[in-house]
Amino acid sequence: DRQTLVAVLQFLRRSNLRESEEILRREARLLGDDLGGGSVATVASSSPGVAAVAAVPPGKGGARAGAAGSLPGAGGRSLPAGPLGTWGALFGGGVVVEDQPDVSAVLSAYNQQGDPTLYEEYYSGLKHFIECSLDCHRAELSQLFYPLFVHMYLELVYNQHESEAKSFFERFHGDQECYYQDDLRVLSSLTKKEHMKGNETMLDFRTSKFVLRISRDSYQLLKRHLQEKQNNQIWNIVQEHLYIDIFDGMPRSKQQIDAMVGSLAGEAKREANKAKVFFGLLKEPEFDVPLDDEDEEGENEEGKPKKKKPKKDSAGSKSKKQDPNAPPQNRIPLPELKDSDKLDKVMNMKEAARRVRLGPECLPSICFYTFLNAYQGLTAVDITDDSSMIVGGFADSTVRVWSVTPKKLRSVKTAADLSLIDKESDDVLERIMDEKTASELKILYGHSGPVYGTSFSPDRNYLLSCSEDGTVRLWSLQTFTCLVGYKGHNYPVWDTQFSPYGYYFVSGGHDRVARLWATDHYQPLRIFAGHLADVTCTRFHPNSNYIATGSADRTVRLWDVLNGNCVRIFTGHKGPIHSLAFSPNGRFLATGATDGRVLLWDIGHGLMVGELKGHTDTIYALRFSRDGEILASGSMDNTVRLWDAVKAFEDLETDDFTTATGHINLPENSQDLLLGTYMTKSTPVIHLHFTRRNLLLAAGAYSSQ
Amino acid sequence: MEPAKMASPKSAPKDAQVMAQILKDMGITEYEPRVINQMLEFAYRYVTTILEDAKIYSSHAKKSTVDADDVRLAIQCRTDQSFTSPPPRDFLLDIARQKNQTPLPLIKPYSGPRLPPDRYCLTAPNYRLKSLQKKVSSSAGRITVPRLSVGAVSSRPSTPTLGTPSAQTVSVSAKVGTPVSLTGQRFTVQIPSSQAAVKSATPTTPTVQNVLINPSLIGPKNILITTNMVSAQNTSNDPNPLKRKHEDDDDYDAL
Repeated sequence: DRQTLVAVLQFLRRSNLRESEEILRREARLLGDDLGGGSVATVASSSPGVAAVAAVPPGKGGARAGAAGSLPGAGGRSLPAGPLGTWGALFGGGVVVEDQPDVSAVLSAYNQQGDPTLYEEYYSGLKHFIECSLDCHRAELSQLFYPLFVHMYLELVYNQHESEAKSFFERFHGDQECYYQDDLRVLSSLTKKEHMKGNETMLDFRTSKFVLRISRDSYQLLKRHLQEKQNNQIWNIVQEHLYIDIFDGMPRSKQQIDAMVGSLAGEAKREANKAKVFFGLLKEPEFDVPLDDEDEEGENEEGKPKKKKPKKDSAGSKSKKQDPNAPPQNRIPLPELKDSDKLDKVMNMKEAARRVRLGPECLPSICFYTFLNAYQGLTAVDITDDSSMIVGGFADSTVRVWSVTPKKLRSVKTAADLSLIDKESDDVLERIMDEKTASELKILYGHSGPVYGTSFSPDRNYLLSCSEDGTVRLWSLQTFTCLVGYKGHNYPVWDTQFSPYGYYFVSGGHDRVARLWATDHYQPLRIFAGHLADVTCTRFHPNSNYIATGSADRTVRLWDVLNGNCVRIFTGHKGPIHSLAFSPNGRFLATGATDGRVLLWDIGHGLMVGELKGHTDTIYALRFSRDGEILASGSMDNTVRLWDAVKAFEDLETDDFTTATGHINLPENSQDLLLGTYMTKSTPVIHLHFTRRNLLLAAGAYSSQ
Repeated sequence: MEPAKMASPKSAPKDAQVMAQILKDMGITEYEPRVINQMLEFAYRYVTTILEDAKIYSSHAKKSTVDADDVRLAIQCRTDQSFTSPPPRDFLLDIARQKNQTPLPLIKPYSGPRLPPDRYCLTAPNYRLKSLQKKVSSSAGRITVPRLSVGAVSSRPSTPTLGTPSAQTVSVSAKVGTPVSLTGQRFTVQIPSSQAAVKSATPTTPTVQNVLINPSLIGPKNILITTNMVSAQNTSNDPNPLKRKHEDDDDYDAL
């Protein structure tokens, strides 16, 4: 109803029927106030007036912001002066326009800007200018080509100049960088305005600002050139769709730029990576380990005065001081340790004592689990922490659990039998198991689509699986039945993972958000929205306070579980990200994508610290060894590669300039860091797992081609 | 399945060649040959659906021919039905902001398996046992094979296990002894009611015994389900011991 009112108002305005417009607006305002909007702001069309209105953030649905032209309802963005100037010139006087919260408002962000046939002239003029500029500036200014090209093309399409759009595309698409080719191919199929409506990724691309990092000198050069031209259409587009993050210092070289660009939204703004991240690990409680002879001092470690007293009593811990980079113990609520968890931890410590120390001289042995007869249906694999069970998620919607130790999988006895057992006996946990149901394989049915992600809980009681049917299912590994189906994503869910402490889990899917759930809430606790394309990979940080998500928009974001904020944005990959791995000390993140590169990031500083080249196809599996000395990567090119993580992370240059600007000079040392390449027999590697003793397990499905 | 060669054979129909060209234009070089068939089928199905809808609209508007507006309307209606796209970004940011404002709920210690309230779980029994009209016999030895096929209700309509009319029930139970005849069309299950002790012991276990079985996987044989100790009467009389105690059952309703 409101929409039709707005449409009528606009029509009257366009036809210059002022009086009828005033009358209608007066009456409509009465109705509108009943609907409960914000205050109506009438604004003169001069620029300062427009700027004042821009200060009123356009709320979503309901609030009326006065400005010429309809505005996209996304967040509070500063309004460009250019297009508004043109509208204002047409109307004069006070104009009021409703804020349309639907998609058409987003689409109509593109106003008529200049003659469509001249777009090619503008673009080639800019191209000529940049090519004639000084070498040091050229690399930086070349970053402008791609976003400008896309935005100009989309504007031509939106304003229905199809033939001009096609010829524009034909002429200039070959000039773009090679890593944008996939995007350009998608773009070439968008030739009509109707095509744009269903494509959420393209819509997001146009409403979010493409971020470019340019040095001050280059920026001055560009600005001077664009403003002195008569038709400064390009300047308008730059102001409207690009965010130029200016830094003081040397312009960057092509190599530096190439390392960081590639994502759908340009690079990350510098302040996006400035928030403090608690990347340290939580204190582990100490136990009376039978073989341990440590005498317990019996003193609590002193925390910093500001921090609250930790919940868990850590008697006799080796480091007395609280790690300043570690989050407070109760920053997020975590489940308490049960007796079974404590037993598990004792086992873990015993195994850790027998762990093999890995290094360049001592490489791990690799044990490969090949799934035969899967007919390319194996879509997800997970292995428990103690390496006792393997689960496979398949394209036929089944989830299959295998026991890889001689101990078979058993389900709990029925209620009748359970009443007969002696509950006080010591081995009650064995007695509740039904021997008749022992088998090596259990098949779990329930999903109605391919299963794309699986995750065991740390206490091995639960299993999660997420699927194309949009649900995440929780299965009990004691009864081998489905307990809960969590519905929230209505679109395929690509990945899910339990928190290292259990209870929480994260899922990410096609709807471009990641959700944090707890097993006892049927709705998500947190929604992490911000990616421009599907979230393909989700991982918890070892301290469970942060979640990393990799997406098809080629960025990796780090989110804070406490308040849902995005604390880090890492750009640099040239393809959708399919694997993430945190280092065991929590300081570093390794990411792998379809471009075959593994990138290493320092979480604390928010910088890229390494690039491992070698794989030739998508990297689906990444894992650090138990003490973080070796990084293993598995890929679709049927190889497992081992990299020296210790060497990759030493000598990090973190001088002031680097921290301020985020610009790094990556050494070309992939060959030095590569410790070994191991080929499988045409089996892509989709999962890697280091056992507690640092044996590397890998899993994949044999594919005969 | 081998990947298809790049060039389609010369004898392929024109439509198939067009499909192959589309795949080539979008940069897809490796695909199984059946993909082209699937694409053709999809295109045919979509176009015929749209055109049929358009015919209906144009006849509704009393037009003599189908014109572009009818087709446009048909496309729009179908798009809202079948090809939904994920919500727009500003909407997602908005609901994310709302959700992220509430602090994380505290975790109650020692509360057993942490699952949502029962009505959001899949742990409830998905079948109901019909109670007999006559008094249930007390002899425990007569628990006969609770050979109950859960899925058979849908897959084998000739075996009305649950929907047995009372007349038949009476006739069956008139026979002394075995209420079960597997060969027969119907059978009822008698379960002694002296199971009160069991219910209180492990309230969670009975509920999780009820396996959600995919009916399509049930072969001609009936499935042996480990006995659910819920007696027929008890499903209606005494549901509480079966449900886990969740004081804050209603807390989860609000956003």
